[in-house]
Amino acid sequence: MRWCLALLLCCLLAAVNALSSSGSRLLVVQEDSTEKSLYSKLWADLESRGYDLTFESPKSDKLALFEHGERVYDHLLILPPKAKGLGPSLTPKHILDFLQKDGNILLALSGKSATSSAISSLLIELDIHLSTDRSAVAVDHFNYDTISAAEKHDVLLLQRPGSLRPDVKAFFDATPPLLAPILRAPVTAYGYNPKEEIPSAEDIQATGSQLSLVSALQARNSARFTVLGSAEALEDQWFSASVKAPGGKKTSTVNQEFAKQLTAWTFKETGVLKVGKIQHHLATEHAERNPKIYRVKNETVFEIEVSEYAYDKYVPFEVPAGDELQLEFTMLSPFHRLALQPVRRTETSTVYGAQFVTPDQHGIFSFRVNYKRPFLTNIEEKHEVTVRHFAHDEYTRSWAISGGWVWIAGLWSVIGGFLAFVVVWLYSAPSSAANAIKKTQ
Amino acid sequence: MHLWQATVPFCLLASAALPAAAASAWGFTDATVAVQSKGAGVNSGLKEELSASKPLSKPISLATVDTLRVTLTTQEGSSPKRPHQAFLLLKDDQTGLDISYPFTVKESGKSRVELTQKNLPIQFLSLSDPVDARVVIGSLGTSEAYDKSAFKLSIARNPDEAVPTIEPARYGKLPEIHHIFRDDPSSPAVIITLAFVGLVGAALPLLAGLWLFLGTNVNHLSTAFKSSPLPHAVFLASLVSFEGVFFLYYTTWNLFQTLPAAAAVGAVAFVSGSRALGEVQSRRLASLR
Repeated sequence: MRWCLALLLCCLLAAVNALSSSGSRLLVVQEDSTEKSLYSKLWADLESRGYDLTFESPKSDKLALFEHGERVYDHLLILPPKAKGLGPSLTPKHILDFLQKDGNILLALSGKSATSSAISSLLIELDIHLSTDRSAVAVDHFNYDTISAAEKHDVLLLQRPGSLRPDVKAFFDATPPLLAPILRAPVTAYGYNPKEEIPSAEDIQATGSQLSLVSALQARNSARFTVLGSAEALEDQWFSASVKAPGGKKTSTVNQEFAKQLTAWTFKETGVLKVGKIQHHLATEHAERNPKIYRVKNETVFEIEVSEYAYDKYVPFEVPAGDELQLEFTMLSPFHRLALQPVRRTETSTVYGAQFVTPDQHGIFSFRVNYKRPFLTNIEEKHEVTVRHFAHDEYTRSWAISGGWVWIAGLWSVIGGFLAFVVVWLYSAPSSAANAIKKTQ
Repeated sequence: MHLWQATVPFCLLASAALPAAAASAWGFTDATVAVQSKGAGVNSGLKEELSASKPLSKPISLATVDTLRVTLTTQEGSSPKRPHQAFLLLKDDQTGLDISYPFTVKESGKSRVELTQKNLPIQFLSLSDPVDARVVIGSLGTSEAYDKSAFKLSIARNPDEAVPTIEPARYGKLPEIHHIFRDDPSSPAVIITLAFVGLVGAALPLLAGLWLFLGTNVNHLSTAFKSSPLPHAVFLASLVSFEGVFFLYYTTWNLFQTLPAAAAVGAVAFVSGSRALGEVQSRRLASLR
């Protein structure tokens, strides 16, 4: 029993330590173990946020992403290998399988060595295209660091990215549908092969903001895959370096903060949405909760509780300005699509609600909340209900319809006439006129 | 969506850096911009001199059939030299679109670039305002790179031709939908209904008047009630209560409440009715009717 308790305590401790919303086992794939010290600040950062780091070389025999068909690690961080590929246990197929099983991946590339063909074929699967010239790097003669790259201009100085679109939450600033660029190159940047002296016009494939330095992919199962164009950006020397733009002042870099935001997002510490309680009922007091059946034209209330994971806890989810959490009431196609408004907040969640009248069409409907946004995990909720027609005793009564009054009056005048006729027939004495006719007969 | 991923070491800044002067600078001379229509003779189109210090005042128009040609000689300081980067950069500040076209540069610094509407991404074709055309010259080393507006380029479209557009699939909020309910059934104006109710109601007084005109009376009422009071009273009451049962069925009762009540009232009406009608027969046999 005591042993059981100890085990339970261990589990609890593990649960407390795992600050990411989807597990803490992080595998770092690094070819050269001597390079580990280059990134010591990053490792310290990750460990302080509760990750269990495992370092493996891609050549290692022990390295396996799966055991008995289950993931061995929750997250994967791949630093650029110098070899041609990532070895037999990290083929593109293995990595995609890892993604399919809800594993998150941060892939760093480097301009120092040619990108391996295994990586570029993996990225093509995800519609991320590397330059066909695999050793190309990006340069910019306007936004480079004059201290460390005065001659080669290949250390770019970039502003922190803002939000992708006005209605998308900005996860990376100071505060394809599946694919989103996190950090774009400056407009004057371009890619070239440093081995060639001067690039000819034909060699330049992509320029300016078409180049993404950091791209993110969130699969349909909300597993995350981030491609970082520069493994060097994670090195200790850039975490707190001072740099100087051409003609600018000396400033210090904020790579450490960005690396934190990037790893936090990739390993699901931020931007993870959780749906709590879902309730729908008639808009009357003490109505039954979540009934299976509604009638046409019922005033109905729908409520959904949404929380967002922020580093180590769930907080109330706030929809970014310009965006809406929408409720659809659908049968094949939506009959209603309404914005859900925040109704109340709890400590860890926001309750969004909407009130509407069920359409005048009977059938099998469903309440649907389909909230898919860049950088946020997907919400897809579907709750089926029946919408029935009016029952025979639920229609308006005939006396309440003014057009029916003529018929009702006709009916009652016939009834009155019948009763009067019965009385007359039973008790009428022959009239004098009738007697006169009888006498003549 | 199609993302080009670049590899480069980069640093992120918390605040913007301000540019200032450097030792030597890149620039250009002998620059011209020419627009030539297809089929027109050489040097027939518009041709303007470009200055490195200030942009052209008038925007240059590029029609569907035109070719834009920019030629210049790049120089570092004042000596012609081939730079690492020589781009014609089209940039729209409103939409944030940008695209660069590299110059073909010779060793002497002589550079040229040609551009037609076919080369432009279709997002540019739907812009109504002229885009900023900038010359970007930069190279490795310490010389200051050049990036200044050279002219404004307005993309002229044939108004009859539809502008090609592209709508990439993007997750975002969708337009709201509110179900449009069928109209409620409507009744005619109450005044018309009341007029017809009055007409229907007038039938009873009309009937009564006609009966009085024909000499209808209830003179035998006392005779009938004297000879057999109970059957007559019960029979009339059962007839009225039959209508009462119907009224209750119409307002509140269901069929299972109505049927037993109707059966009971019917049985009473049958028994009392046969007695009451026997009395009526006796009056007829006495030649009173």
